Amino acid sequence: MATGTKTQTSPTTQAPPPKPKEGRGWLWSLLLGLLILGLVATVPFVGNAADLHNWTLIIMFAVLAQSWNFIGGFAGYSAFGNVVFFGIGAYTTGLILLANLPFWLGLIAGALVAGLFALLLGLPVLRLRGHYFAIATLGIAEAMREFVTVRDVGGGGGGLISLPLPSLDSYVLFFYAFLGLSLLCLLITVFLTRSRFGYALVAIRESEQAAEALGIPTYWHKVGVFVLSAVPAALAGGLYAYWATGFDPDTVFNVGISVEMVLLTFLGGAGTILGPLIGAIVFEYTSFQFQASGFTLHNTLLGLSIVIVTIFLPQGILRLIQEFARQPAPGERRANPFVEGVRRVRRFIAANGV
Amino acid sequence: MSFGQVLVNWLLLGSLYGAVALGFSLVWGIMNIVNLAYGALIIVGAYTAFWLYTDLHIDPYLGIPLTMAVLFIIGWIIQYVVINRVIRAPMLVTFLLTFGLDLLIIDLVQQFFTSDLRSINTAYAGNGIDIGSTHIPLPSLIAAAIAILLTAALNFFLTRTRIGNAILATGMDRDAARLMGISIRHTYALTFAIGAALAGAAGALLSQLYPFDPSEGGTFTLRAFVIVVLGGLGTPWGVIAGGLVFGLAETVFPLIPGVGPGYDDAIAFAVLVLVLIFRPNGLLGKPFYS
Amino acid sequence: MSDALSQPMASDAGQGGDDQGSMPLLQLESIIKRFGGLAAVDNLSFSLHKGEILGVIGPNGAGKSTMVDLVGGATTPTSGTIFYQGHNITRLSPHQRTHLGIARTFQIAQPFKGLDVRENVMVGALFGQQRLSRAQALRAADEVLERVNLAHKATFKGDQLTIADRKRLEIARALATEPQLLLLDEVMAGLTPVEVAQAVELIRQLNKMGVTVLVIEHIVSAIASVSNRVLVLHHGRKIAEDEPAQVLSDPRVIEAYLGERYARHRTQQSASGLPIAKDDQQLSGGES
Repeated sequence: MATGTKTQTSPTTQAPPPKPKEGRGWLWSLLLGLLILGLVATVPFVGNAADLHNWTLIIMFAVLAQSWNFIGGFAGYSAFGNVVFFGIGAYTTGLILLANLPFWLGLIAGALVAGLFALLLGLPVLRLRGHYFAIATLGIAEAMREFVTVRDVGGGGGGLISLPLPSLDSYVLFFYAFLGLSLLCLLITVFLTRSRFGYALVAIRESEQAAEALGIPTYWHKVGVFVLSAVPAALAGGLYAYWATGFDPDTVFNVGISVEMVLLTFLGGAGTILGPLIGAIVFEYTSFQFQASGFTLHNTLLGLSIVIVTIFLPQGILRLIQEFARQPAPGERRANPFVEGVRRVRRFIAANGV
Repeated sequence: MSFGQVLVNWLLLGSLYGAVALGFSLVWGIMNIVNLAYGALIIVGAYTAFWLYTDLHIDPYLGIPLTMAVLFIIGWIIQYVVINRVIRAPMLVTFLLTFGLDLLIIDLVQQFFTSDLRSINTAYAGNGIDIGSTHIPLPSLIAAAIAILLTAALNFFLTRTRIGNAILATGMDRDAARLMGISIRHTYALTFAIGAALAGAAGALLSQLYPFDPSEGGTFTLRAFVIVVLGGLGTPWGVIAGGLVFGLAETVFPLIPGVGPGYDDAIAFAVLVLVLIFRPNGLLGKPFYS
Repeated sequence: MSDALSQPMASDAGQGGDDQGSMPLLQLESIIKRFGGLAAVDNLSFSLHKGEILGVIGPNGAGKSTMVDLVGGATTPTSGTIFYQGHNITRLSPHQRTHLGIARTFQIAQPFKGLDVRENVMVGALFGQQRLSRAQALRAADEVLERVNLAHKATFKGDQLTIADRKRLEIARALATEPQLLLLDEVMAGLTPVEVAQAVELIRQLNKMGVTVLVIEHIVSAIASVSNRVLVLHHGRKIAEDEPAQVLSDPRVIEAYLGERYARHRTQQSASGLPIAKDDQQLSGGES
């Protein structure tokens, strides 16, 4: 039998391979995240009531984006209906409060109900391929909104809930509660980047077939991360319910919020540790600055941002910064961001356009 | 409610739904774009018909071609300026993008027309044909007839005209079509514009049958999606079939004691999930252009 | 689910089938896979013994990749049964089969682009047969990378690799799951002759370590030089199964690859005593 030529190592003599160092990127991201949250924590001291109000909402959206990042960024499954968990959290907490039971019980109940719902919903829906999954989750949010309206859950007519005012001075407490929730999400995200579960999610995102072939039970991981993404959203919903002392289905089951979660995550950088947080801060802060005509302009801004981000910035701010900050290879000039930007847009259109 | 009445309701509703989903199915089948702004286009159609009626006093049925023309132009512009740039991007991108467009369009409509509930009530709207105890409302009947007409027209256009054939060819194999000299950019723009025009027609029809406001958009998109999934992407008639099946669900379900009306989205969602799980190729089993 | 399957055997399982146990490692019985009206795999039966290297060849569309999908679990047969170590695995999902010891590569390499090479392989180690900690998995990954000669590119991102490297990464990832049976789906496509030789050598080494290998290939000479047996598929059917030299001079096989006319032409040539043309030797295994 022919033995073939003797195996040689790669003919080009390369420098001895750099010892692969454990990436410390996650640590820097974590520290930066703590720094950002720490800075935001000073708002009650340096800002006025309006600032407190705005930043409470900004952090709330950060939590929503961070939770969406688990399933959308890490696992790559774009759920378009995650607002349903927010709403479930809000209504569960609201109903518990109306029954004169303690607030913390409402929060926990909301999280449990949402998690259970995610499990039951995820089982059939996660068997669907990508875009069917997206539409199905979109449908569930709409369906839930309708259901709650028709059944008048909450009793205020059309599903409206009015809650007793929380005690004075608690707006600050609410703010810190949201902030704490965001911190929790940050820690979970960091954990994901280092854990088995997280690696499985990334594998599923990059190539579900290969992931399955390597021994990952992809279905259960998907269901698991779906449930994981539901819990912080539900907690945020519960907090919102009491903070706002009243809400209706159109507010807490608003599909626009669902899509906003997606946008914020992509704007900052899907699948990264800080992306959702940064995306939320950038967008929501800008939106508040534009708050001239109130809520209606928000939607236009959202729509426009979506269009801009999907065409020009699909990889997100963070990755964009990373690319420009990276040391250029020897011989490569540092690119002028503007020129490079235009070049990219052209390339994107050339690649994806007709 | 008599059986005859239920039957009539079903047929009328189903045909109407066919019209609703027609444009959506065309764009999806040919361009593989799930246009989440479709509901918004329907709403624009409804408001256009409304405006033509209240400000220019044009009878809504006569206003349909005008509405379609307006939506045709809007669709062409959207396609050329925005959608064409992301045709080959992953589906999530087009999802997000069209949803963004949806938000934009609905917001603009809201600025112009406010969120008040609108409807068109012509003088003859209350008329109908009575067969025994079954009442067939005239607007619904005409709407269903127009829906069938549009479907037949689209089918004829696609299969019997050169341009229509070009569109079909592009849908089947874009690169082969390009090699045969078909301009893909124009074909896609035309397809999307026709889809928008059909959305406009649906909106015009709906404006006379139900009160509407800008927030209804999302519901229509969802329903269009479900109807297309039900009927498959093969032919325009498949859409009517899908519409009929969906209409059946919506007609029958509220009759179940204790359920009542108002669960449209929930029904749509449930039907969708069931079909996708058990018959992923749609009820008619036609393969998707995926 | 999985038996307590141990490390790959030490080097006594050399080339050639291990006939100690009569039970084959893998057995396909009357496997049919239909897509619509077309039978991609048509009544296929064969078995594979522990320690063997089985080559599978056949013209395009013969059903080779479908067969890998069937054995790996990416698709289920329309009818027929698949046995692995005596167990019926026909209904098991791919990840369950991986835990039993079956690993596969993909014809079109699918590296995890967001991760670097080392992490790519680590995923295989983390989720393969044993439950390893992150540190253990990293070490296992490093070992595997050494074996496939990719260690020097450990920090490269998945999308910075050449084709040959991607194929090696595919193999490395599959190896990290510590398989007993390795299915290689056209790993040599697109490689230069030097790279092909390296791949062949790698397969030999893996086999020496006790891994049973099923190699699907287009490059007939390469597969002939390394396989114990060769299976030939055509239109989803098995048309030959024998030692390489026998298979490659089988007129049915030649006919399948090159068409009826050529086969007739060749038999005429050999009948008339003329020397067989040089390029025909390639087909016969290139034995010099």
